[in-house]
Amino acid sequence: MSEIGRLAVVLGFIVAIWGAAASLLGALRRDKSLVTSGTHAAYAFSALTGIAVLALLQLLLARDFNVEYVASYSSSTLPLWYTIAALWGGMKGSLLWWTFILAVCNTVVQVQNRRKNRDQMPYVTATLLVTGAFFLSLLVFITDPFERLPFTPTEGSDLNPLLQNYWMTIHPPSLYIGFVSTTVPFAFAIAALATGKLGDAWIRTTRRWALFSWFFLSLGNLFGAAWAYVVLGWGGYWAWDPVENAAFMPWLTSSAYLHSVMIQEKKDMLKVWNMVLVILTFALTIFGTFLTRSGVISSVHSFTQSGLGPFFLVFLGFVLVISLALLFWRLPLLKSKNELESVFSREATFLLNNLLFVAIAFTVFWGTVFPVLSEWVRGVKITVGPPFFNQVNAPLGLALMCLMGIGPIIAWRRASWSSLKRAFALPVFIGVATGVVALGFGAGNFYAIVAFSIAAFALATVFTEFWKGMRVRQTMMGEAPWVALSRLIGKNRRRYGGYIVHVAMVMIFVGIVASSIFKIEIQTGIEVGQSVEIGGYTVRFDGVEDESSEHVEIRKAKLAVFEDGEQLGFVHPEKRFYKKPQQPTTEVAIWSTIGADLYTVLGTYDTASKVGVFQLFLNPMISWMWIGGFVMFLGTVVCMWPSYTERTAAAAARIPAGSSTAS
Amino acid sequence: MSRSAPIVGGRGPGPAMLEPRRKRRAFTTALCMSLLLGLLGAVPAHAEVPTQNEVETALTCQCGCGLTVHSCNHVNCGSALPLKKEIGEQIVEGRSLSEILSHFENKYGEVVLSAPTTRGFNLAAWVMPFVVLGVGSLIVGVVLARWRGATNGGDRANMSSASSAEPSGDPELRARLERELRERDT
Repeated sequence: MSEIGRLAVVLGFIVAIWGAAASLLGALRRDKSLVTSGTHAAYAFSALTGIAVLALLQLLLARDFNVEYVASYSSSTLPLWYTIAALWGGMKGSLLWWTFILAVCNTVVQVQNRRKNRDQMPYVTATLLVTGAFFLSLLVFITDPFERLPFTPTEGSDLNPLLQNYWMTIHPPSLYIGFVSTTVPFAFAIAALATGKLGDAWIRTTRRWALFSWFFLSLGNLFGAAWAYVVLGWGGYWAWDPVENAAFMPWLTSSAYLHSVMIQEKKDMLKVWNMVLVILTFALTIFGTFLTRSGVISSVHSFTQSGLGPFFLVFLGFVLVISLALLFWRLPLLKSKNELESVFSREATFLLNNLLFVAIAFTVFWGTVFPVLSEWVRGVKITVGPPFFNQVNAPLGLALMCLMGIGPIIAWRRASWSSLKRAFALPVFIGVATGVVALGFGAGNFYAIVAFSIAAFALATVFTEFWKGMRVRQTMMGEAPWVALSRLIGKNRRRYGGYIVHVAMVMIFVGIVASSIFKIEIQTGIEVGQSVEIGGYTVRFDGVEDESSEHVEIRKAKLAVFEDGEQLGFVHPEKRFYKKPQQPTTEVAIWSTIGADLYTVLGTYDTASKVGVFQLFLNPMISWMWIGGFVMFLGTVVCMWPSYTERTAAAAARIPAGSSTAS
Repeated sequence: MSRSAPIVGGRGPGPAMLEPRRKRRAFTTALCMSLLLGLLGAVPAHAEVPTQNEVETALTCQCGCGLTVHSCNHVNCGSALPLKKEIGEQIVEGRSLSEILSHFENKYGEVVLSAPTTRGFNLAAWVMPFVVLGVGSLIVGVVLARWRGATNGGDRANMSSASSAEPSGDPELRARLERELRERDT
């Protein structure tokens, strides 16, 4: 099977090179047969990559420890789900997985565009295949996932215990889908630049792809935070680790693009800037992949150090040089209408929003690479950690949240003083009132009060929009409130879906602020039968239970949770000892409510004295972040759902010409 | 003629010419202020009496977890525990945050600090994001001014019609909804 996999990777690489060359030559020479050959090669590339992934999966499931990758990342006792997840658990497999997702995206793009965008498609195909060929070249020439060992170990080294968590099956695929799918808008941008067809067509074609990749980047980041929260056991979810930053940066530029592209669609402005954002987002995904695989920056998340770094840097340079050269060449064709009636307009707000997104992205980039710069310039190792990122990004984040409130209700073109007063009076009042209430409830922290006020203001503007729209429909159409609301959303899914996403962002923002500022934590020893207080909770230690399997030994503590004297239930934080990598891990247990999480970690347990050492955290409103994730999913689905016009157009396109007369 | 001739009685540039200049000056002042405020907010302030948490957050655990001493997830960590103990001793001795951080910096090197210092080359870490923000703000300001100029220099009739069509809250919403309602309802 490894030979089949290896052959598929090599053939996939050759086919990708051929497909890219044929597509480019075909487009330049206007040779249809070459273009068709390129398209066929694109399908073949997808099929071969699929075969390679299936081959590696089969080797993992068959526990063929003669294959170095299987021996390094699985074992005979590893549960099935984690055996499947081992596919992306190591560097070689993750590169193949990256390529596989690209192959799937490529297939969907080819099918979607088999009858449209025919002038651009050769360039799109070439861009996708060049990217695919780069990743396959790493697997062919540098790091072969199907490499066989000169001997067969009796047992595998197993998957890293920290990766043996259900989030391992969810978080990496989400993040990879987000990363890889940014290639599609990038490929269409390159095609638009190459063909000179720089109108709105490429933007309309890639609108859903951009949203799709943004959504999966959002999920990837959020799932990563959730994973860190339940696995790492330090009571937090985001440590500004370089690898976390690598996933966050493309999300920021992608968010900026989703806003600025609206200005291009509505006002024919910012054409160059939108190109820059699409290029930057793709480049940042390659940069992120470089960070995790080069070993240039130390991170708990990164793969083992490898010699892949220079190859990623060369590819990144190639991407930037080609795309920026094309952009520079087409600058005369990218002239926009560029008219602005007033700085008090939605256009101006969106520009500021873009400025802040990019400023935060730069801050994250700068903080991530600064230790390397310091070592180069001064020869001194330094750390750039959470205090730096929090202090610099907090004011920028607050300003961004404020703009999120202003943007939806400020008018396009020009907002008069009277319209501003009318639109903002209620949301501003609600924001101020929230600040006062927060102060009244004892939230003495200045940042928290400002943050809650801004969040309430942003939320109020969104609800005002829904309320006004619903009322107008009720008045004009005589519809019932829920009918009016659903039809309001249905008639302009993108707008109202976007507002739902804004609600999600406010929820996530509030969760971050509350859990960061009002967190309570204690580390204490508790004797069996004794209790401790934290926040409004009482936690009683009822002893430990030991469990053992061939894979892992578990020591499970039993903690009874009380509130106001009433027992709510039990939580069971664990210490685990994995037998194959001989590694201990901590499994936290969380009593979660909408108001706060009681987060418990078992440190040690002394059987003689019957004293357990625990870390207990009270994280206020952290569940708002996860609920915000669901709301974001809802909003994105609303945005992406095809409108009636699109559905009928698609149905009409499926009916063959002349079929109406045939019946 | 005096160089500081008062701008009255038709002498010097008229109010219309002065307006953009004033706006520019106001914009530049606002920008500088925001930069200054941003920097003041960003550069860490060193309190006189630090808490244990403050110091633990300002130091990075050296066990390789990549977290601060405060957040290190290893309960019996060989790095975090001695550091926490030492931090406690330093606080008991009545040292300020900057003194304690200097102590650890001298002992373990700069790598132990969880944020760059504000000295020498490290100052660039703190300043650069705000320089970029400032330059970005300037670019946005110039772009907005140019776009406004393009609009003002354009067709006045278009502009007045645009102004009269000012989408001000409810009328805009009503117009949009009317347009949507005209579409088929399925």
